[in-house]
Amino acid sequence: MDELLGLAEENNGDPVYKNTDMDMDVFYRAGETHQGIPTYTPRLLSIDMQGALGSLRASGSLYEGVPSLDASSVVTWKGKSTKHVSEPHKKNLFLQSLEDEDESLSYCNELAGGIEDNQTQEDKDKQCVDCLENGVEFWTDYSKVHFHPQSLFELNGLWRGPHEFNNYGTGREVFSECLQGEEISTRLRFFVEECDHMQGFQFIVDDSGGFSSVAAEFLEQISDEYRNIPILLYAARGPDSYTNIPSWKASMSKNLHDAISFSRLSSFCNLMVPLGLPSLSQSDASRFLCVDDAKPFHTSAVYAAALHSISLPFRMMLPGPSANSELIAGALDIGTMTQMLSGQAWQNMVTILDMAMPSPLIGERNEVGLHRSLRSLTPNIAEGSEDRRGVETMVIHGALLSGGSRASIHQVKNSIEYGYQNQAIRPLFSHLSTSLCPLPIPLPFPSIFGNRIGGYGEILEEPIFGVRARGSLGVSSIPMATRLRSSKAILPFIEKRLADIRKLGTARGSYGVELLQSWGFQKDEVDDMAEGLAKMAHALKDQPEISSDSD
Amino acid sequence: MSLRVLNPNAEVLNKSAALHMNINAAKGLQDVLKTNLGPKGTIKMLVGGAGDIKLTKDGNTLLKEMQIQNPTAIMIARTAVAQDDVSGDGTTSTVLFIGELMKQSERYIDEGMHPRVLVDGFEIAKRATLEFLEKFQTPVVMGDEPDKEILKMVARTTLRTKLYEALADQLTDIVVNAVLCIRKPDEPIDLFMVEIMHMRHKFDVDTRLVEGLVLDHGSRHPDMKRRAENCHILTCNVSLEYEKSEINAGFFYSNAEQREKMVAAERRQVDERVNKIIELKNKVCTVTDDNFVVINQKGIDPPSLDLLAKAGIIALRRAKRRNMERLVLACGGEAVNSVDDLSPECLGWAGLVYEHVLGEEKYTFVENVRNPSSCTILIKGPNDHTIAQIKDAVRDGLRSVKNTIEDEAVILGAGAFEVAARQHLVNNIKKTVHGRAQLGVEAFADALLVVPKTLAENSGLDTQDALIGLQAEHDKGNIVGLNHHTGEPIDPQMEGIFDNYSVKRQIINSGPVIASQLLLVDEVIRAGRNMRKPT
Repeated sequence: MDELLGLAEENNGDPVYKNTDMDMDVFYRAGETHQGIPTYTPRLLSIDMQGALGSLRASGSLYEGVPSLDASSVVTWKGKSTKHVSEPHKKNLFLQSLEDEDESLSYCNELAGGIEDNQTQEDKDKQCVDCLENGVEFWTDYSKVHFHPQSLFELNGLWRGPHEFNNYGTGREVFSECLQGEEISTRLRFFVEECDHMQGFQFIVDDSGGFSSVAAEFLEQISDEYRNIPILLYAARGPDSYTNIPSWKASMSKNLHDAISFSRLSSFCNLMVPLGLPSLSQSDASRFLCVDDAKPFHTSAVYAAALHSISLPFRMMLPGPSANSELIAGALDIGTMTQMLSGQAWQNMVTILDMAMPSPLIGERNEVGLHRSLRSLTPNIAEGSEDRRGVETMVIHGALLSGGSRASIHQVKNSIEYGYQNQAIRPLFSHLSTSLCPLPIPLPFPSIFGNRIGGYGEILEEPIFGVRARGSLGVSSIPMATRLRSSKAILPFIEKRLADIRKLGTARGSYGVELLQSWGFQKDEVDDMAEGLAKMAHALKDQPEISSDSD
Repeated sequence: MSLRVLNPNAEVLNKSAALHMNINAAKGLQDVLKTNLGPKGTIKMLVGGAGDIKLTKDGNTLLKEMQIQNPTAIMIARTAVAQDDVSGDGTTSTVLFIGELMKQSERYIDEGMHPRVLVDGFEIAKRATLEFLEKFQTPVVMGDEPDKEILKMVARTTLRTKLYEALADQLTDIVVNAVLCIRKPDEPIDLFMVEIMHMRHKFDVDTRLVEGLVLDHGSRHPDMKRRAENCHILTCNVSLEYEKSEINAGFFYSNAEQREKMVAAERRQVDERVNKIIELKNKVCTVTDDNFVVINQKGIDPPSLDLLAKAGIIALRRAKRRNMERLVLACGGEAVNSVDDLSPECLGWAGLVYEHVLGEEKYTFVENVRNPSSCTILIKGPNDHTIAQIKDAVRDGLRSVKNTIEDEAVILGAGAFEVAARQHLVNNIKKTVHGRAQLGVEAFADALLVVPKTLAENSGLDTQDALIGLQAEHDKGNIVGLNHHTGEPIDPQMEGIFDNYSVKRQIINSGPVIASQLLLVDEVIRAGRNMRKPT
């Protein structure tokens, strides 16, 4: 849905979160307004269609007050003026409650503690949850982060609805049109310039439609302008991109789009993570969840949680030379992670994202093991193929022991090691990052947890009676396990795209040739792309094992 | 037809309905943009769903802000926006012209005439009008020193349609001087060499031309000077930050000691680069009041900043790629890509470099340069939407000056050309056309009048009176335009009202093409959407 989605909001208050040895400044920046008021905003550049921000102003609300709508405030024209007001997007209950909080913060503090007050607060929260469950239209409806005026960019003059902005061709010239790309790059530079040690770029794109080509052009520019700075690309898509295919022609166009956008996007990044299952709710990944595929609010929460988790190592404070933190282990920066996953045996830069939400209890008798509880969020992969040349990096945070207490870093490490030992085939290389801090479930988080999830994300033996789905009111945090793996299991994903581009795009007389031309690709370019994909696929095919000397 | 069989829900508009749909869409779009035109037009304040404001008096901006859904309207809008991309102005006029061509055609079509005949007439009229434009243009000689007055008149004509008079006149000088600053004989003018920078601060009248460059960032070290005179400027694209090499990032070292060594070795390489810059500084800064400024396109990390600061050097990192070019044009010297070929000849010079801080925003001014051929227009305004509108106007102003220099011609404005062209078509061309295509010529000729008509309308004048007055003067052989204050005819030459030749040419070229396409539509078939929905 959203081009570059802000990661799930950070926590405050709870003791587990008080001291985490996490450096939130990695993703957030401190700034100040002209009036000297300090601000804290994400280092984020989001590109979306005009009108996709709902009730949020593109310039945010921190740096410029609500502008005067009075026609007399026009200072540049002395002649006639007219005012055209679109129907305002109303802020929902949740956003209103945030605003009220901001305004009456001091007032509330004085009154805090009253039982009656608590009661109404609970009611209010319930109302908020209900209104979010049924009323989310824009991602800004549940975002509680303030944004920097440079962060939110709206594409102008598309004159297309989201349903017509659905293939590679439609976004092709958007980036270069009317200096839009120029403006976007300038905004990115703003965030880059203030970084002392930039780890890299995390780039999230919905690659199911026109944004794919916008992203490809932007990435091309980034990789050219900021050489040596690693780019980690998440190509995410919602379940709706797999439905709504009315005809054979449309499905062919979609398949071609997938192939082209995969080929283009992968060529401008260091590591690519495709994610987005055709049906999250039916998938094994949501065994303990209660997700409605029709609600992007639900599905994006799951994917955002996974991204939050996998990016934790980037935010871990590097320990001093000899210090051994009790709270975290296994800090990584983006460059190291991409190197590690893409540079080894397979030389493969397309990785699979697995997730266990919540991660299972550690130390149970009939332990399934963390390894086996992980389920892929990447579509189109070969299940269950263990790979002795694979490389993986795992992130586990907030894991619980079977008794319900938090597992220490040491216990998590042991459990993982034990798991690897019990596996028939061990990957060539593995890395573990772990933290005590679980995923917090704050108020706007959707009610996606099933009735076997306890208040701290533990998996209960018996379902809670009479409850179907639990959300932020019942569950305060969730232990998470995520894993990126570079493995030959990704082969079907690549081969599908290779087959499509060959069948539809390069074979003589295929209908796709014409379509690709309208997207701006000449035949030899398409041939090159097919060849590139073939190379990728070939590298992953089982070459004869590096034979021992015995023959 | 087969489509209809396949999809019984597909909506089919027959020829006449389809045609009228197109005409109505064109007229609808015309109605929206009409009030924009001219110095008496209406400025539009657009308030979005979240309360954000856009101000526009510019057809191009307005179209882009509109959520157009009607396919015909989108087609017209794309043409009009392309017009702006090509020639920098004329979006509103293009939309008006297409709308008026459709409106004029409607009359004839309702009387039973085939659109094909009209389209043939359009083609003849278009060619004749373009020929007439060649004769009508006022040549401008662009020698080594272009006529500044004529450039100013063109720029003023454009700017006065976007901004109030005093501000427009102030910006007129700015844009003309900016273009003349970057102009090189016998080379195309690259407007990117004029940086447009903005500050949300104070009043619009504080907008000014900086001969030199304004960068939107500052140094990142507390000990670096905030103001320096007599500055040697090093423009470079050299990484001054420690980057993990592939080997280091991987797991190829066997122990921590080995890794430390590798890190130290790489750090040393960065330091060496910094030291080469410091050496150069020490070489050129022999007098105490000489200063040294490094402006780098790549990053500079804190240890490097420290070294530079200790050596008394001001350093800026992550400069815009385009600023590398602009800096060299403004200060001289050359942009270096490696510290190996550093020499005093690479350096540029600026009399003054200083930082200006507004909250978290920092600006660095590089001023008092010798013989600049790059400059910055610094726009100030009280809020973002005001700045955005001034910026649009400045861009249009710059384009109009560039066009004039490159066209080596201008066209008399205030509707004078349109009236003259119409008279020419009606009096001279129509007679030479055989048969009913004459009517197409006539429709085209009448459609041209949309410009003076709208100018009059927007000024609150009686359009009929105004047009009759103008035509009467033209019949007498006087070339006149419309005085938007009185409605009387005026001589645009005397008043200094000039339009761009290339803009006019482009409008005449593209308008009839789109109108013809829209008129020749046979049938519209579209599944799954109600086309009769208003835009």
